[in-house]
Amino acid sequence: MQLATAKPKPTPPAYRRFLRDYGWAYLFILAPVLLFLVFTLYPVISAFIMSFQKYNIMKSKWIGFDNYTYMFQDDIFWKSIKNTVIFTLATVPINIIITFILAFFIFQMKSRWQTFFKATLYLPSVASGVTISLVWLAMFDPTSSGLLNTFLGWFGIDPVIWLGQSKTALFSLILMSYLGSHGSGIILYLAAMGGIPKSLYEAADIDHASGWTQFTKITWPLLKPTTLYLLVTGVITSFQVFISVYMMTQGGPNFATTTIAYLIYESAFVFYDFGLASAQSFVLAAFIIIVSVVQFKFFSSDVEY
Amino acid sequence: MARVVFNNVRKEFVDEKKGTFTAVENSEFVIEDKEFVVFVGPSGCGKTTSLRMIAGLERQTSGDIIIGDRIVNDLHPKDRDIAMVFQDYALYPHMTIRENLSFGLKNLKKSKAEIEQQVKQASSILGLDELLERKPRELSGGQRQRVAVGRAIVRNPQVFLFDEPLSNLDAKLRIQMRVELAELHKRLGATIVYVTHDQVEAMTLGERIVVMSNGIIQQIAPPTELYNKPNNMFVAGFIGSPAMNFMDATIENGKAFVEGAQIALPQAVADGLKSYEGKKIIVGIRPEHLYGEEFAHTVSKEHTMDVTVQVIENLGADNLLYFKVGSRMVTARVHPETIARLGERKRLVIDISKLHFFDPETTQRIALS
Ligand SMILES: Nc1ncnc2c1ncn2[C@@H]1O[C@H](COP(=O)(O)OP(=O)(O)O)[C@@H](O)[C@H]1O
Ligand SMILES: [Mg+2]
Repeated sequence: MQLATAKPKPTPPAYRRFLRDYGWAYLFILAPVLLFLVFTLYPVISAFIMSFQKYNIMKSKWIGFDNYTYMFQDDIFWKSIKNTVIFTLATVPINIIITFILAFFIFQMKSRWQTFFKATLYLPSVASGVTISLVWLAMFDPTSSGLLNTFLGWFGIDPVIWLGQSKTALFSLILMSYLGSHGSGIILYLAAMGGIPKSLYEAADIDHASGWTQFTKITWPLLKPTTLYLLVTGVITSFQVFISVYMMTQGGPNFATTTIAYLIYESAFVFYDFGLASAQSFVLAAFIIIVSVVQFKFFSSDVEY
Repeated sequence: MARVVFNNVRKEFVDEKKGTFTAVENSEFVIEDKEFVVFVGPSGCGKTTSLRMIAGLERQTSGDIIIGDRIVNDLHPKDRDIAMVFQDYALYPHMTIRENLSFGLKNLKKSKAEIEQQVKQASSILGLDELLERKPRELSGGQRQRVAVGRAIVRNPQVFLFDEPLSNLDAKLRIQMRVELAELHKRLGATIVYVTHDQVEAMTLGERIVVMSNGIIQQIAPPTELYNKPNNMFVAGFIGSPAMNFMDATIENGKAFVEGAQIALPQAVADGLKSYEGKKIIVGIRPEHLYGEEFAHTVSKEHTMDVTVQVIENLGADNLLYFKVGSRMVTARVHPETIARLGERKRLVIDISKLHFFDPETTQRIALS
């Protein structure tokens, strides 16, 4: 605003006015944008290019779809897909059920106990995957003095070579996931359960609804958004399962626990074939996107947001 | 035949930190079959708690609750043959209106045909026919309120419980729904217990009104009796709008001395107040029983008081004059053409037959035999 008596100043050029008004805002936005460009977009694009190349640190060679054709003809690639799918199907739904049951019981508790269990069950999510894997290595100790084998011994069952044989290796990793981190899921479920108005249950009480009816007709449908969220994110993480494989079995024995993510790691950092690793990564990404979209399409039709 | 009876019912809430809190104390009443009874009182006075004890959603700490011929103290809500409309309506958000209405009947394992017929009947009474396939979030506040009522009436219960069902509606819709609820009561011929904090709602809907304050029932009476013979200063001040005026007075020789007025009491009243001779007393008069001198056509102009007008509010149909008597603010609701100016003296006529007298110690009405 200029007063009528003030000397008219020359209007500054448009770009200077723009800088003065918005300069700081853009400067602040620039930081995360740069980070994104350098550490996300650039690697993705260069990996995409790399997936059509025979990688060499000095000079990569353009080889078209060779990485992709090699990958699809590779038995181990198909085996890793199979392992990943089995792992996902065996862990995600059951883990959601376990999480739900835990949350359901914690929800009935007094708030002091709620806090205790929330904290306790969340701990594994805070601990590093490496640490947890080390603990599990001890539990899966194949000698008769291993933790799980001692337990089996009480029932007269012979020691099991948990991680050392194809029969039980993948199952062992699955078992580890069941007893792993339900913490964040529990917290989401608890929040969602707390968000259901109590009066709905009172109305249902008056409406002659049994406890089971209240559960199937009110609680479960109203928790569907949470369940869907846990399902989609669970599938995505499970497709990328890596740390436990790397720490405990290195994909073996005989590729019994080689998952896609582990295969990608091997291609890249064991065989230094970054071109192949990139191609495998893009296939994994495409897979995850397709599965996620399908899940949303299938399950979200009757979800209330 | 469903009466609702409270025998010396008491409800305490025990909180580990805050200790024991008595929400309802020595509650005693009989609601007759087919009666429309309204519980009214300021918020936090124990109305909802009383209603929830009838419903069985809250267990009384002591005392008996009787519905029909049965003591229902330990009966589950579903076995009490009641239906409740919640303040937030408590509609099932993921079900259609049809599913909301039929949920209770399905749980009772009624036949498809019967459910269909009941839902149809309720929806046509309440004008919900077009909305049956929608979800609650696609409905307006008034429509949701109707669905909540519909869910109560499909089961044809003996007793309906309403917890402030109109408080979420705008003023106009509230008046409309008030009329509809009154009609619904006639049509259903069921016992209705209705909770509200709005005394106008209570006065218009209730055949009898239970006035509560701080967990204690202050008075149970039909609307006109509450208005004409309030038991105590709380009821007197709560029922009627604007609220009743209270003035400090002393009684001497059969006259009430109020600042600005000296009111000669009729013989019968004077006799009734004999024991207060020379003592302080509180005189109550409703704003509508004070008249501007020139419009006091219906009452004798014998008793007047001169006041200095401090505020004038014009409501169209009436004017409200505010002035001070002693330390208390007093309101007069006068004819809109009454001549009154701010800061000037005005002579008001008192309708002496409409005076109320209260004991300043106990705040109870002084009974004039
Ligand atoms: N579940 C509860 N726990 C503790 N105090 C409660 C509970 N329900 C109600 N109260 C208390 O009881 C009093 C009466 O509550 P309520 O019956 O809801 O009042 P209102 O007349 O407004 O409906 C309030 O002071 C309230 O804080
Ligand atoms: Mg209430």
